[in-house]
Amino acid sequence: MPFTAKSGKFNASIKTVTIGTGDKAITLGGENVLPFYTFDAPIENAPKVGIEITDFGLENEPECIKKYYEGCTTLAEIAKKAASFEGVDFLCFRMEGGDPNGANKSTEELIAALKEVADAVDLPLVVSGSKNVEKDAELLTKAAEALQGRNAVILPAREENYKTVGAAAGLAYNQVVGAESSVDINLAKQLNVLLTQLGVNASSIAMNVGTATAGYGYEYVASTMQRVKAAALSQNDTQLQMPIITPVASETWAVKESVTSEADIPEWGDQERRGVDMEVQTAAADLACGSNAVILKHPTSIATISKMIKELI
Amino acid sequence: MAKFITIGERLSTTAPAVNKAFTQRDPEPIIARAKQQLDAGATYLDVNIGPAESDGEDLMKWAVQLLQSEFDNVPLALDTSNKKAIEAGISVYNRSKGKPIVNSADAAGRIENIDLAAANDAIVIALCNGEGIAKDNDERMGYCQLLLERGLEHGMEAEDLWFDPLFLVVKGMQDKQMQILECIKMFSDMGLNSTGGLSNNSNGMPKHIRPIMDSAMVAMAMMQGLTSAIVNPNDTRLMETIKSCDVLKNNTLYADSYLEI
Repeated sequence: MPFTAKSGKFNASIKTVTIGTGDKAITLGGENVLPFYTFDAPIENAPKVGIEITDFGLENEPECIKKYYEGCTTLAEIAKKAASFEGVDFLCFRMEGGDPNGANKSTEELIAALKEVADAVDLPLVVSGSKNVEKDAELLTKAAEALQGRNAVILPAREENYKTVGAAAGLAYNQVVGAESSVDINLAKQLNVLLTQLGVNASSIAMNVGTATAGYGYEYVASTMQRVKAAALSQNDTQLQMPIITPVASETWAVKESVTSEADIPEWGDQERRGVDMEVQTAAADLACGSNAVILKHPTSIATISKMIKELI
Repeated sequence: MAKFITIGERLSTTAPAVNKAFTQRDPEPIIARAKQQLDAGATYLDVNIGPAESDGEDLMKWAVQLLQSEFDNVPLALDTSNKKAIEAGISVYNRSKGKPIVNSADAAGRIENIDLAAANDAIVIALCNGEGIAKDNDERMGYCQLLLERGLEHGMEAEDLWFDPLFLVVKGMQDKQMQILECIKMFSDMGLNSTGGLSNNSNGMPKHIRPIMDSAMVAMAMMQGLTSAIVNPNDTRLMETIKSCDVLKNNTLYADSYLEI
């Protein structure tokens, strides 16, 4: 009997979400197959790669990142430079200085910084908060207002502040709401249910279902993403068909393999190479598990992952 | 596993209001009942026009077009003993949301409805019953084999035959209930889809008791592998039970608001 290949194409598909405006706008999602399974059906919108900068500019960056931004002093210059690297599809501005347990910068200061960055580039934008839910409720509301007309992703709306962030980003200012659940599939679904019940259009929601560095409890991230995609595609669960955006750099550039200098542990070898390796491996795994976009930092990692995506799709 | 499929049973000529609306081609009561069922979470709607011997074809076409145009091509089960009416309904049916269901064939006088479903690429409810009520599961499974083979011979996929064990009334046939549940397990072990008029079990019971019995029955039947049922979707207790069983069976991913979606 001849072998007849059966297509693994699903009757359900991931919703498409567009970020940004004009020529540079990008579309996430739309696929009806497992990640990179282009042999089952074409994947129209390849996964996208973003570059992350923060309100601290280059202050807290390792030398191996700083060197790529030589001559840049203002946030606008840093943003322009970041946007120019090969493979960058969008820019993520992380307002980590807003954390009350850290630098505790004021909302006004951070929004001014955000505007400076946004005005400097025409790439699609992702704005990421301070990791503090109370501060984020205020900060992200202002960010959504400041970026009116940019169709940006406002990240993260969490269980504790989804009403405020969702209403500002998704209802008042027509941005894309980034729903964040920390490696909890049930919460990932619940947040989408709550946001849609709030009135946010399902095509204006993207998910961050959790993130970790390869080797740091990563298997939970992998199984979460796989379960989300299985529900979305094989069970046609409309509440989990939103595309996934995964911040990678903020995780991988915090682990010892990436931050320990060669001087401290010579046998580990070149620090830059280690940092890039951790970032590339984590991002590649995220994409293989179903992320529709990853946010990275090192230009070499970005070029590498971008090339990987192009080769596979 | 796929989510449990509910077929809403409230568009039936056995309800005087529906019967009147069908006879007079009055869309409003039909649309109102359909909407109530869909809002409550029904996947399919059963359209029972009765024997409809004189104007069945015209009536079924009218009902199919009315419901599908009003509710985004809602998938339908076409329920009548008039074969021509079923074919007429299918001729105007839009299958973008699911194949039509022929309701129903049995192993006696209505076996040709299998052929009808096969010829029209439809799903068919295959009632494992001959003349009179089957005496045991050997007899039911004999009918199951017969109906399955008939479908396969006519080019159907096995998944498009939804086997109905024939739910029996507790008041009078209490001793048969476990047999029915065991029969569902046999269908399931063969990888077959199944369905049935689940609320038969509570026929004749007080109104406030029926949702309780129906919920218990659906939970036990889903445990045995039942994949669908013809139900009243506006029975909240029953629908909550089905949604909960879908979670426990991992047919749907749990979220705190699972009862609301």
